[in-house]
Amino acid sequence: MDFDLKPEHRALQKSIREFMQEEVKPLVKQIDRDSRVPDELLKKAGAAGLFGIPFSQKYGGMGAGEIGYCILMEEMGRVDASTTAIIGAHTGIGVMTLYLDGTEELKQRYLPDLCSGKKIAAFALTEANAGSDAASIRMKATREGDSYMLDGEKMWITNGPIADVLSVLAITDASLGARGGATCFAVESNWEGFTAGKREEKMGLHGSPTAALKFDNVRVPQENVIGKVGLGFVTMMKTLDIGRVSLGAATLGGAEVSLESALQWAKARHQFGRNLANMQSLQFMIADMASEIEALRSLVYRTAWLVDNGRPHTKEAGMCKLLGSEIASRCIDRALQIHGALGLTRDGQIERGWRDSRINEIFEGTNEIQRIVIASELFQEIGVRIRP
Amino acid sequence: MRIVVAIKQVLDPRGFTVNRKAEKIFVNHEEYMINPADKSALEVALQIKDTVEAEIVVLCGGPERANEALRQAWAMGADRGIQLTDKLFAGADGLVAARLLAAAIRKLGGVEVALTGERALDTGAGEVGPRLAEALGWPHILAAHRVGLADGAVKVIAKADRFVEVEAPRPAVVIVANGANQPRYANAARVINSYQKWNPEVWNAADLGLTETDLAVAVVKRGLAFPAERQPGTVLSSAGELVGMLKRQRVI
Repeated sequence: MDFDLKPEHRALQKSIREFMQEEVKPLVKQIDRDSRVPDELLKKAGAAGLFGIPFSQKYGGMGAGEIGYCILMEEMGRVDASTTAIIGAHTGIGVMTLYLDGTEELKQRYLPDLCSGKKIAAFALTEANAGSDAASIRMKATREGDSYMLDGEKMWITNGPIADVLSVLAITDASLGARGGATCFAVESNWEGFTAGKREEKMGLHGSPTAALKFDNVRVPQENVIGKVGLGFVTMMKTLDIGRVSLGAATLGGAEVSLESALQWAKARHQFGRNLANMQSLQFMIADMASEIEALRSLVYRTAWLVDNGRPHTKEAGMCKLLGSEIASRCIDRALQIHGALGLTRDGQIERGWRDSRINEIFEGTNEIQRIVIASELFQEIGVRIRP
Repeated sequence: MRIVVAIKQVLDPRGFTVNRKAEKIFVNHEEYMINPADKSALEVALQIKDTVEAEIVVLCGGPERANEALRQAWAMGADRGIQLTDKLFAGADGLVAARLLAAAIRKLGGVEVALTGERALDTGAGEVGPRLAEALGWPHILAAHRVGLADGAVKVIAKADRFVEVEAPRPAVVIVANGANQPRYANAARVINSYQKWNPEVWNAADLGLTETDLAVAVVKRGLAFPAERQPGTVLSSAGELVGMLKRQRVI
């Protein structure tokens, strides 16, 4: 058993940490206030290779694997949740769909530009009436010669307004429904009939653009089918499985900074003639935070290791997302309590962290869905099949 | 054209704390980094390579861990990395370091520009650059901020009390100022490959044709002491305030 990162991963961690400290950290307040991550920053991140960390170098990726990608998400999660969401939705689910099930030709065509950040990806599954119940999507893909005509709407799509390439799930055979009748497509946003709605105004992740997408008979050539016709739901679920590991890593980064800011404030702030560090009530909170973070770190990196070694990881990935999001929310909430009124001010990072944290319990499968996934896996091991 | 960049690996100051009272330095995380001024020197070399065909060879003396600094330099875009490692090099002072680098540069041959940083973060001596030029018999330019090439020469914008443009015939040693530029970030794929697909070369004293006599230090360290603590300055917001203060202190 070896719990040390490999030297190349340590070097990657150092290099990403430097980028985040020098380039992103000074912009964090501005990103939140202006609800926009500057294009210049995304360009720099692309040049540093941050848009293609886990993918094979054969397709222009960085070849750092899932462990490398978790390092990226952890380091990013420590600094800015909006930038994390943009690169996370791009890499972890948008590009991942193509990487997992795309044909060689599709990968050669799209991955190099996506990995270098020249193009941005999004993952379009959710619809107005198909959130947690993803299988009830309505978007249609009708065969017409060598193409499919995509018609319908998607909702809450992270990167929707800025994406160049989208992985989209649509129904190709209504009689079979999502399981067996849904197909995944790679769609370019400049194709006729595609429009992204206005950016949603959200409680947190202000810099991460989210929008409804409209597909008005968008012609998609059949070469752009990702995976097999009819098996798109499987492709998307498989993608989400992996995405949950790195989302766990991002929440790990968020939880870590909550703890660090709580420690610093407990050291600096004096009440009743001593610093807060000397108060047992605070010590308990801090010890709980640190213990949960340590457990999460072990879970996340072990699961990333499972992914890199081709082992089954559905259950563990669900746990990464479930525990990670809840631990991160608890940690930022405790950090806020420790900071008192100061934690509520718009100037500090605590208030923003608190707003940014909540979404982690919702997107990429709500925590209720994660619990169902984990329970299904457990029951399956003893031969009980749970109907979703 | 061949460009050499001499870099030093120093302890990352974010990993230690200085306790003035105890006159001690506590190392919490033993992490090393490329000396910032040397990283700027590497950036200068990379900028030259962006415009003309060049091979960048990075030299770094030190124990086994020096390979990490060379890998980082390669990841940033250097072409070759040579680690100068030998038991005889331990405890090298500025003179010995310069001799080592000079021997390596001679062995390489065809070097037209040798770059290094102005000052190391740890010793702060700033000797190696000028001593290297002396050992090679080359001209040197200090405090370089921008470096360009002209016909058979290097053209440098350097900072004395103000910025000046100076020129020296090649081959030359150019000593780059701290903070002269913002070094580029290594591309993540090259970071990974710097460990998986690349290794620095290792040269020892014998490879460089150096004997124990060549490596005798000129400076012997007798002890270390903390410099006197500096008093914090006063921030003034107007010229009037400054005049008032100078009058009160009877300066004017």
